[in-house]
Amino acid sequence: MTAKHLSSQFDSDLNNVSSQLMEMGGLVEAQVKRAIDSLTHFSLAEINCVLDTEVRVDQMEVEIDRALTTVVARRQPAARDLRLLLAISKITTNLERAGDEAHKIGKRAKSLVESGEVRQMPIGDLRVAADLAASLIHRALDAFARLDVAAAIDIYREDDQIDREFKGFVRKLITYMMEDPRTISSSLDLLFIAKAIERIGDHAKNISEYIIYIVHGTDVRHSKLKGIENIVQEKQTPPL
Amino acid sequence: MPALFSRMMSLLILMAGGAALASLAGAETTGTVLGIVAGALIWLIGDNWLARAFADWLHHVPDEQPGTSPPRLDSARREAAERIQRLLRRQRLDAEELENRLHNIQSALQASPNGVIILNEQECIEWCNRTACEHFGLDSLRDLSQRITHLLRAPVLVKSLAMRDFGEALTLESPLSTAARPLRLEVRIFPYGHGRLFMLSRDITAIEQAEAMKRDFVANVSHEIRTPLTVLAGFIETLQTLPLEEEERTDMLCRMAQQSDRMKSLVDDLLTLSRLEGSAPPGIKEWTPVRALLEQLGADARALSALLAGQNAPEHELIIEGMDTSGEIAGSASELQSAFFNLVNNAIRYTPPGGKIVVRWQAQPNAGACFSVQDSGPGIAPEHIPRLTERFYRVDSDRSRASGGTGLGLSIVKHVLQRHDATLAIDSAPSKGACFTATFPAVRIRAGGQKDIGSD
Repeated sequence: MTAKHLSSQFDSDLNNVSSQLMEMGGLVEAQVKRAIDSLTHFSLAEINCVLDTEVRVDQMEVEIDRALTTVVARRQPAARDLRLLLAISKITTNLERAGDEAHKIGKRAKSLVESGEVRQMPIGDLRVAADLAASLIHRALDAFARLDVAAAIDIYREDDQIDREFKGFVRKLITYMMEDPRTISSSLDLLFIAKAIERIGDHAKNISEYIIYIVHGTDVRHSKLKGIENIVQEKQTPPL
Repeated sequence: MPALFSRMMSLLILMAGGAALASLAGAETTGTVLGIVAGALIWLIGDNWLARAFADWLHHVPDEQPGTSPPRLDSARREAAERIQRLLRRQRLDAEELENRLHNIQSALQASPNGVIILNEQECIEWCNRTACEHFGLDSLRDLSQRITHLLRAPVLVKSLAMRDFGEALTLESPLSTAARPLRLEVRIFPYGHGRLFMLSRDITAIEQAEAMKRDFVANVSHEIRTPLTVLAGFIETLQTLPLEEEERTDMLCRMAQQSDRMKSLVDDLLTLSRLEGSAPPGIKEWTPVRALLEQLGADARALSALLAGQNAPEHELIIEGMDTSGEIAGSASELQSAFFNLVNNAIRYTPPGGKIVVRWQAQPNAGACFSVQDSGPGIAPEHIPRLTERFYRVDSDRSRASGGTGLGLSIVKHVLQRHDATLAIDSAPSKGACFTATFPAVRIRAGGQKDIGSD
């Protein structure tokens, strides 16, 4: 992942923290995917599995933070290494939150199943946004492993699509609730699910921001897409 | 030894030459000594010059084409140069052979239908073949020396690598898998050497689907057979234990007969299906007049319609178009008859009494022909249409069982049509009726009265 250091122990420390992060990423990714699948199958076993993963994800967050503190204290990293460690810390937080959102989806799905009103609700309309959110998390982690800035920018761009889908879905839910007030409680569950999906997309977007930060050293948070593209382009063209 | 000898000789000759020149010039002893020294010096300069040439040649030797001889050298150095050159040539050949062999092994692994990933001691990807790239979405150049768990983050795989537990195959979903195109993989990891790993992946999507279908099929068959059996067992128990009036007995036996008929037709259909699957497809030498098929079909259909209608309800209005055809169709007459009758049977059973059913035989512009059955029944919702030909698939299970269906009719139709290179199209919408159309290709259709080609 990074160029060799004089101390090979330092290299292996960095690599190990990265590996831990990727392991946590794998857990969250599987959790999100399962939560989304549970929206089509509504199997309680699957939902419970989503809810159980939460504990392990939280545990990993703590472990990674501890490992990060040790590396910073021992090696006093600078430049790119420091950026990598800072970014890992932030990405961990984002992953944990994405896991929380998956947990929320699981809980709401459970309440929908238990209410028995699943069939009448427009759950199929969530599918596009949900699949997109799962794929963004997956691609954000891939981009981190490869430190691939181009892929990170693509993720940034596609998150907008999730936001658009979310707005459309909310409008649709409103019509459902107006037509038949009995669907309000299920509609609210679905609204929270849709919001959770939208948030997962946002976390993927945040992860991609930290990838640009590691590679180029520029903080692109809260920037517009165009601005980010310009910054990256500037960094890539070598000065004359 | 001769090389050393020749060097000594050349030195001595030069020294002697110097001495001779000095004495010829009439020099004293000192002059002669000076001559010897001058000879030795000349030799030294010459030798140095040769050494430089040799060093130069050594410097360039790796770039030299095989076979270019070293520059003019004295015999000792020439020998050394030749040996060096031979050694280098052999080394180059060895390296080439090794590279060739490596290349061959890699192409063999590349050609493997399984995904192959070779991991080094740190679990970094050292090499992977194209199939592995397709399975896991890897890039065979960019992802080299990347830790495998950074890209394949499936928790089962990460856990197995962390525990170094490679006993059993892992089943995981490919990162590229989507709802529309699922991709399930079986991954096996074999440790070798000192902590190195060899990872094999196999696409098991089709196998898993086939297994699921088999499970469903067995479950369905058992269910379909158990239902009438339960009814029969109930009646038998009643007959055994209760003294019954003659009338009740007859009624009960009649219903038992119905159930056993239902089981019989189910078993018949299953046998038909397995025969269709097990036998070779019918050839194109056996020709049957379409007209005979349609006449038989019409007679069967009217009988069935009358039977279902009973005394009070009106019969279906049955129209058969294309009876005047003189065309012939190639294939098994009994199979086609059964497929066509299954379609008409469905139409009659699902159309309310008095409804209209149109059976049509139509020649196509491309010299093929199509057989269609149009009914005025309740129609089929679009989400059911793609699954209608699945075994035991039922749109409304209570109704179709009550009407005496086995759930296998359309599967039989599909199989028969496939064996006759024909396709089945279903066109329907709720409350619009349904139209089932079988389209036969030109090779299986001919105008009537032709002699069989190649049958004499």
